[in-house]
Amino acid sequence: MINPFEDFKEYPYEKKKIPLDRIVQAKEKVMEQIVEGYLKLVEEEVKDLVWLVEHSRLIKAYSSALRTIQKIDYDIDDIEELCLELDKGDRIPYLISGPAGIYLAALCNNAKEEKIQLRLHELKRAFHFLGYRLPEGKTLILKGNAGDFIGASLSGGKIIVEGSAGNWAGAGMIDGDLVITDNAGQNTGAWMSGGEIHIEGHIIGIGKIIHGGRIYHRGNLIRPYETTTR
Amino acid sequence: MAMPKNREETNGRKKVRDIYEFIRDNLYLNRPDIRVGDEYFNSALLFSLLSALNRGKELIIGEPGLGKTTSAEYVGAMTYRLPLGLIWASEVSGHPEQTEEKIIGRPDLGRLNQGEEVVVWSFLAQLPVKIVDEINRLPETKQSMILDGVDRGNWEYLNDVIINEEYCLFATANYQDRGTNTLIAPLIDRFDVMVESGHPGPDIALLIGMKDRHENVLRSPEYERNFQEILLERQDYHEKMHLVEALCNRFGDHMEKEFHIKMLSKTERKRIRDCMEKLPFDLDANAFLRTMIAELSFCCKYGQKRSDEHCEEGCHYTGFLCYHIKNCISNRFPTSVRTYSQSLAWLMGDEAVSIDHMKAVLPYTLAHRVQWKDEFISQKQAGQRRDPLQIFMAKEMVNEVYRRYNEQGHRIKNALAVAYQALSGKDLEPIEGDHPIYVEIKRDIEEGR
Amino acid sequence: MKLLQGKKVQEMSRRENKHDLLLKEIWAKVRKKHFFPELPDPAISESIDRVALEIKSKRIILSQSFIEDAARHLPIEKVIEALLDHGVAHYTYCPWDFHTHLTLYQKAKKVLKDKDKAQKSTEYFMDVVADTHCFKEKDTPISHLYRHMERGIMDEAIHALYQKIWGVDLNVQGYEEIARKLSRIPYLDRKPWPESIRRFSNIIQGLIESEEKSGTLNQPSPMGQNDLGRYSLEEMDQGLKEFAMATGDPSTFKEVVNDFEDELKDAGYDTNNTMGLGSGSPLDADALFYMKLAENYSLPIKKVPIEKSGSLYPMSHSPWELGKPFRDIDPWTSFGKVMPGITQIWERTEGEVFGEREGIPNCIVVIDSSGSMTNPRQRLSHAVLGAACASDAYLRNDATVAVYNFSDAKHGGSQILDYTRHRKKIYQALCHYYGGGTRLDIEDIESLQDPSLPDMFIITDMQITNLEVLIGYLNGLENRVTAVHIGENERAWHFKRSTKLRKNISVYSVNKKEDVPKIVLGKIREYFGIAT
Repeated sequence: MINPFEDFKEYPYEKKKIPLDRIVQAKEKVMEQIVEGYLKLVEEEVKDLVWLVEHSRLIKAYSSALRTIQKIDYDIDDIEELCLELDKGDRIPYLISGPAGIYLAALCNNAKEEKIQLRLHELKRAFHFLGYRLPEGKTLILKGNAGDFIGASLSGGKIIVEGSAGNWAGAGMIDGDLVITDNAGQNTGAWMSGGEIHIEGHIIGIGKIIHGGRIYHRGNLIRPYETTTR
Repeated sequence: MAMPKNREETNGRKKVRDIYEFIRDNLYLNRPDIRVGDEYFNSALLFSLLSALNRGKELIIGEPGLGKTTSAEYVGAMTYRLPLGLIWASEVSGHPEQTEEKIIGRPDLGRLNQGEEVVVWSFLAQLPVKIVDEINRLPETKQSMILDGVDRGNWEYLNDVIINEEYCLFATANYQDRGTNTLIAPLIDRFDVMVESGHPGPDIALLIGMKDRHENVLRSPEYERNFQEILLERQDYHEKMHLVEALCNRFGDHMEKEFHIKMLSKTERKRIRDCMEKLPFDLDANAFLRTMIAELSFCCKYGQKRSDEHCEEGCHYTGFLCYHIKNCISNRFPTSVRTYSQSLAWLMGDEAVSIDHMKAVLPYTLAHRVQWKDEFISQKQAGQRRDPLQIFMAKEMVNEVYRRYNEQGHRIKNALAVAYQALSGKDLEPIEGDHPIYVEIKRDIEEGR
Repeated sequence: MKLLQGKKVQEMSRRENKHDLLLKEIWAKVRKKHFFPELPDPAISESIDRVALEIKSKRIILSQSFIEDAARHLPIEKVIEALLDHGVAHYTYCPWDFHTHLTLYQKAKKVLKDKDKAQKSTEYFMDVVADTHCFKEKDTPISHLYRHMERGIMDEAIHALYQKIWGVDLNVQGYEEIARKLSRIPYLDRKPWPESIRRFSNIIQGLIESEEKSGTLNQPSPMGQNDLGRYSLEEMDQGLKEFAMATGDPSTFKEVVNDFEDELKDAGYDTNNTMGLGSGSPLDADALFYMKLAENYSLPIKKVPIEKSGSLYPMSHSPWELGKPFRDIDPWTSFGKVMPGITQIWERTEGEVFGEREGIPNCIVVIDSSGSMTNPRQRLSHAVLGAACASDAYLRNDATVAVYNFSDAKHGGSQILDYTRHRKKIYQALCHYYGGGTRLDIEDIESLQDPSLPDMFIITDMQITNLEVLIGYLNGLENRVTAVHIGENERAWHFKRSTKLRKNISVYSVNKKEDVPKIVLGKIREYFGIAT
């Protein structure tokens, strides 16, 4: 049988590779692993097609996410790219805000870098649970408006939101600093037991149950209430 | 002592260029409109010359009176050493009442009455240069008759056959107007190239107007009579052609001696054709042509393009030519491209056919063969251009494919190399990519295995 | 002195000739390397001193002083080849066309928010893509040239990036972090370029701001600026058309086109001329947007119809049979004999010829710009797009178009444009947005009527307060009327019911605004007799 490619018999088909090819390929591989991890988490967590915000569920989801990502060699640029992928929806067909935020939080907490910056103002969707359990020594800067439950269970790290936060900001935080340069939603600081929340804009509502910690509004302490010495 | 081959080839090339320059400077005055390498040519004249050399079929379009027929006549006369008056006598003009007897041949009536069937062949059938004026005014059956004849060089009448050894066809057509028919797709596909004989601009037009239209250096009434006498003789066609060739040589010598005009002999033409046919294609030209054919024949949904099957919106390949065309490109297309790009490369003195030659030739081999979708035509037709719409669109599309080839030429060549190895037995996976060529290569590998 | 001067001139002339010859030789090599791009022959000029090369109307012009300077470190052939490779790659690879250039700029501007910064980022991005393509796919000495080049802050960072992604040493120290971030971008993958330039701009934002502070932002890169002079007028026109289609958003289009207004004018592209008016008027980017967008939906020019010629022509032969008439016998093919089996007759058929093009009537476009309709200057208005498509179709078929744009007509909220072929005026009339109530004045429409019975297109959401008056008026017309209304509502139903009996009135309801242009064009196709 005739081989119609006879003319290319002598053509060397090993292509010239430059480091860019290797770098992009490696990055793609890492992204694939990260995306796969997210999809696996969603599959596990959303068996009933509904994801409820429950303390035990959060812990389980977070542990599951941590287990997955520990095997992946990623950096902070990959985390930002994941945000873009989640936002675009090309590679990831469905975004479920809760697990997505938990997964991102796990990635941030487990990252090698101490300072992590996420450009949320470029994204169309809101991400919740960013900064969940951020440990001491880590700083998370969110440029743009963030979703709900920002800094939930904050564990000593520092979160700066250069924009507004949604509801339940700082919910259940144990230690650390949460700075919101714009507005905060309802139930801000609910169940917090330590740490500080600083809000520069409007606060729609403070959480009813606060065990400890401090909340400042435009530099003024508003929780616990200031007691004047008599 | 025989001349070394290279020198023969160089002499041949010089002669052809001299013919081109002579016609360009004295007979067919027009603007250069195509660039090849560092040189500029007039496309109508260039492709006419190449058609005459490589036995091609050329369709020349244009407004009335812009030299469509005359360019072909001059090229035919000088390439085949025939006096202009003889070329005129052999032309067939397109009008609805043309018959087979007027075009191909008729019975010798005197001998018929004596019970013998002897054919008197027309000059068109006998001579190597065939010019059909306004072919689109012929009814479809007559167009078909001529193109059938020129396809193989066979002319049949009354169970008699003559076979032309070498021939070329020039057919002219005006643009659509009242009183013209269309050239149907299967017929138009048989033409190798389509060119426009355009307006030369006011300055050159004035020069043309100032020339004496009755005097033409390529005419020679004496030789014309001699040729006609031979052609009208009732004898074996091949013997007749020997006589014709001998007279051509004498005419050629006469023109060289009296007017210093060098024309080509049959031997020279054959030698030139042999040189042209031997020119190899460089790998990029090879791969580029495959890429082009892939875009013109591929359909991801239906396997190949078909005129009665239309792709829908949302096809993955909407950015490629296959989405914008209705028909599938024929196998005559790569034949035409090969022939003309080799001819052009030979004329330029290059050692191999490159993308440069191919890019110059492709639009003219493509323009008449592609049926574009209406929406695509409407997007292009209002834009600024210098060429007629068909040629303009063909140039644009060649450019598009060229861009894509520029981006992924290496990958395509790799894919082709891997395919060779795969079909030779090596365990290699085909290279994937976002272009129809990769899909087609993969299909060839799978079906080959 | 004169002798010395003469000698100097001679030397210079010799040098110039030598450079010209060298340039010609190297250009042939570069052309072949890049698969023979359709570019004019390059030149070397003494008048360019700030940059290494310029590209004007596709012509690459190299700086003589730069070449001589660089030749101190590198053979002059390599310098010329590197510069030509860079210039050609911009043409053959990135940006390739004006549409790509605009798209990249638009994405950069989204991040950097400033025209000059966005232009800078776009230029550098295109340089990186072009150079990397050259380095990987062609055998180029570009890296040798960069090793010895004078660099600013941005150039240092970019060359640090090259060190990382090309694997070569370009004598750059530092910038590791920025090079690491930049190296992750897939420059050689065309599809994600819009996303890639966004990331690129984010990463280099800090550097660009440093350049701004130091006052060097507007200094051109040593390898020249990627300005609009490289594009022909046709390329710019085509690019705007594709960009309008790709963005589908008038405000994005407007922002970018307004940013480039001066550059377009400097390059000789007069947006007003393309709209049928003389130069000098300010740019109306909204009108330009709809005009360019409508060109993407254009209908074919109505073909000359094929009709029977009315005459019979001999077509083919068939055997003569006893009883058939003699008059069609062909004596030639019958050999002069009349007998069954030998005699042949002509079969005659009517030929098909091209007829004459029928005239296309003029067109009245009635467009609703009340508050319930989309403001075309803010978001894509499919109503305006449909009207623009209709106008374009009639104009291209040599008809004229009149526009009646109404909101609250009784209180000055209407505009009448008489029949014209001036595109800019038509598009401006279509784009005008009143945003008020919805009441039209029948006398206004009547003033545009003429005995030739122009076609009428009405695009509205039917929330018209004097709908009954309109219904009554339309029911009395002989013109072909196409009414397209957006959304279903009681008034629309009423309109449909009331005009049902009139064969010359077609009413279409669209739920998706995107269907408006299709409906309009489909109807025009029917009117013009264009087969689908």
